[in-house]
Amino acid sequence: MILTGPKIHEEVLNGNITIDPFDPVQLNPNSYDFRLGSKLKVYKNLELDTKNENETETIELTESGIILYPNKLYLGHTVERIGSEKYVPIIRGKSSTGRLGLFVHITADLIDIGYIGRFTLMLHAVQPLRVLPGMRIGQVTFWKVFGDIKLYEGKYQGSMEPAASQVYKDFKLKD
Amino acid sequence: MILTGTKITEEVLNGSICLDPFEVSLVNPNSYNYRLGEELIEITYDVDDMKALPTQNKLTIPDDGYVLQPNKLYLGVTYETIGSTKYVPSLIGRSSLGRLGLFLQITADLGHIGTCHKWTLELTVVQPLRVYPRMRIGQVSFWVTEGLELLNGHEYKKEVNSYAKYSEPTHSQMEKLLG
Repeated sequence: MILTGPKIHEEVLNGNITIDPFDPVQLNPNSYDFRLGSKLKVYKNLELDTKNENETETIELTESGIILYPNKLYLGHTVERIGSEKYVPIIRGKSSTGRLGLFVHITADLIDIGYIGRFTLMLHAVQPLRVLPGMRIGQVTFWKVFGDIKLYEGKYQGSMEPAASQVYKDFKLKD
Repeated sequence: MILTGTKITEEVLNGSICLDPFEVSLVNPNSYNYRLGEELIEITYDVDDMKALPTQNKLTIPDDGYVLQPNKLYLGVTYETIGSTKYVPSLIGRSSLGRLGLFLQITADLGHIGTCHKWTLELTVVQPLRVYPRMRIGQVSFWVTEGLELLNGHEYKKEVNSYAKYSEPTHSQMEKLLG
């Protein structure tokens, strides 16, 4: 079951959902709009490797924003710290974003229960597109769970800025 | 409702969820990590004839990896057999791979109740990316249904347009839906 907007509001007030800062204006009938933060990260190399750390560089957005180009991946972040120890968040773009051909996440819309931090956004534009810091770019929904809860303790916990992939650590575990 | 990792483990042990091979270390708080099978198909469909067999370049991902190129579609397969007779599976990639611009499925994350096989993955990348066989690449979650009893053994019409009998990367059979 998915939470309605008023229920999200109630659970923020009860402390069962973290959305910080929280503004009721950003509530939808069954989701909450998050905003694009002011920092982006891009990979320095064109060709990436899952087994090795891929170096990034940081782009600080000014008021005029940035034009995103196809065939390039941009990691962004939400302004808000978001998460829950009671519900599972699922993120997606707003339909206003999708109508512009912008992906806000790639393949992984599901957030682990217990993760609390700024979400890393995987920005990918189908056609060139300007985005602005602070714009309402996506939405988060909250879902009830079935079963005993074991909270997330993973490597991205508490992120405050775009977090590049740490999948290379998996390979080190095995070696 | 979505199953927690604890519940997924319980239901694997009860036989209501099929994850084979199953490793406790691959259980997440609300999903299970699947691995990338070795078989990969570089695929091109015939734009003029939807009923024609696509051109398929079949390859085995070597141990030192294979670089996926943008603007191309690859069909891969999960290393694990995945399914459930009781819950609806939803299969996506891990955020660690999304952070590298890798799609594991295209638009259809939803599985059918009652199927149990190795799932075909639809891989495409934003930037060139090297992937390796058997790496932990995606995640599958399981969802509680309403009306399960109404299925009454008709979980999935296995004889009609079924991908469930395949455990290798399998191209689209859209032609069967064209009538």
